[in-house]
Amino acid sequence: MTKVAGYKKSIGDRIFNFVNYTLLTLLGISTLYPFIYALVLSFNDGHDALKGGVYFWPRVFTLDNYSRAFENPNILGAFKISIARTVLSIILSVFLTALLAYAISKKGLPGRRFFIFFFYFTMLFSGGLIPRYILYRNLGLTNNFWIYVLPGLYSFYNAIVIKTYFDGIPDSLSEAAEIDGCSELQIFFRIMLPLSMPVLATISLFVGVGNWNDWFTGEYFVTKKELIPAATLLNKLLSEASFESSAGADGFQNINEALQMRRNVTPESLRMTFLIIITVPILCVYPFLQKYFVKGVMIGSIKE
Amino acid sequence: MSSKVNATKANEKDRKKTYKRIWKYRYIYLFMVPAIIWYIIFHYTPMFGLILAFKDYKYNMGILGSPWVGLRYFRNFLSDPMFYNVISNTLKISILKIIFGFPAPIILALMLNEVTNSKFKRVVQTVSYMPYFVSWVVVITMLSKFLSPTHGLLNEIRVNMGLDAVYYQGDPKLFYPLVVLTDIWKNVGWGSIIYLAALTGIDPGLYEAAEIEGAGRWAKMWHITLPGIRATIGILFIMGLGGILNAGYEQILLMQTPPVMDKAEILDTYVLRRGLKMSQFGYATAIGFFSSVVSLILVVTVNYISRKYTEVSLW
Repeated sequence: MTKVAGYKKSIGDRIFNFVNYTLLTLLGISTLYPFIYALVLSFNDGHDALKGGVYFWPRVFTLDNYSRAFENPNILGAFKISIARTVLSIILSVFLTALLAYAISKKGLPGRRFFIFFFYFTMLFSGGLIPRYILYRNLGLTNNFWIYVLPGLYSFYNAIVIKTYFDGIPDSLSEAAEIDGCSELQIFFRIMLPLSMPVLATISLFVGVGNWNDWFTGEYFVTKKELIPAATLLNKLLSEASFESSAGADGFQNINEALQMRRNVTPESLRMTFLIIITVPILCVYPFLQKYFVKGVMIGSIKE
Repeated sequence: MSSKVNATKANEKDRKKTYKRIWKYRYIYLFMVPAIIWYIIFHYTPMFGLILAFKDYKYNMGILGSPWVGLRYFRNFLSDPMFYNVISNTLKISILKIIFGFPAPIILALMLNEVTNSKFKRVVQTVSYMPYFVSWVVVITMLSKFLSPTHGLLNEIRVNMGLDAVYYQGDPKLFYPLVVLTDIWKNVGWGSIIYLAALTGIDPGLYEAAEIEGAGRWAKMWHITLPGIRATIGILFIMGLGGILNAGYEQILLMQTPPVMDKAEILDTYVLRRGLKMSQFGYATAIGFFSSVVSLILVVTVNYISRKYTEVSLW
């Protein structure tokens, strides 16, 4: 009986493994290939790409798409906005959220449950889009750079993740510091923060990605061209009609010069180039933080 | 605050003790002050702004000065010809996403769990997160690059084979499948993280015992693995049900083309259209109010039921 069962298991096992590995490989390809395709097209001559047939490697290699993209004042300006908002948001948001998380983590805090409910309730109910819009307008945030930073300062979900991490740091450490005469602020900066680098890195990633990818704010709350971030600009480029006006012959003295200098750059190839430029920073960063955010997600889901 | 209430009920000594405690934590309260101010400004003030749903907003009169119209907008919404469409689209998309999108990360986690080659596992995982980290704009751009009748990969192949190009993104029949598929594509890798983490929490001894009993791979999965991550599945399912009125406006907004609008208008995009695009603030707020209240009731109800009959609940 054991021999037969062993043999049967082996064949069934092998088939299962084969199917499993195959399906997983297909998944991997399906998530990876679109990026490769965009990358290949970004390095390929635009007019040549129109003929089709470019799949895995640039047929006519060119860097013109990239030089065109970086010359375009709209694209460059949009990236400056995106970088500024992302960096600023990460610094402010992570610091303030960690501060909140530390406060919430103090189990003896009078009124703690009330405060937790006060913050948590905002995750269950909100005023909606229109009241928010009117608020931003009344605060002077519309058409203002700070609309990219202030409304997104706190996320209670992030605070909970950091708080849970703080819970894992032994009380004895902060107690010893207290005996030594350290103020709460000193404990926070000298003990809690340095020990929390993994979770802070994770939250930085969440905040950073959220900011970098946000196209909605720039689309609906901002009208000034100089304040448009990269994600919103890419969205505008997505619709053919507005392409000519936002990234067409703008950067040049006249149409002829534009036509002569960049004959091999098409709206399509430029679009792919822009896509790669906007995606590459994140794709370069997240694999290194994978270890941390995997843990962070796990912690965040086992709340209390 | 509850501690203050308790103090007034107790005697003088306890009150002194509580004030002493509050003083002890004074810096901690200070740490929370920016957050409290921020939440009041950016979350609680808009909640009071919901009063806009009952007013005919005139810009020069402000929210408080504008005339009161009572339940007019709510009644309008119920008799709006778009009402049925918008709500049914929202529900259809959400339910489809739950039916197909909810199991996907679980299945992926189970599949990854069966992989013994750790290098392969890690590579697949890393690659599977790629779509999660990029913006929906990027995803839809890629979708366009794949499906476009003029520049898309799929149509390129079709034309090479002698077939006509098809405008996939304008086909109403394909809209829901595309929405669900792109959503899965974007989120399945990230979603599997939670389940994989939960899987590590299952006692290996259970598997060994099952092995001895002669259980096969499928039996183990059914009797040990799935029950083992039951709590995680439950919590995420509650959250998913509670959010059923949010069908993913960011994604839908980007995928709306004129031919599919009949199926593509959901609650949130409709609020956007009537509110920001057509400046009908009162009406749009009323719709949003309705949606938020229903969502809140849903989450509380589902959580209550779940807590009563299973041990799984959000709070």
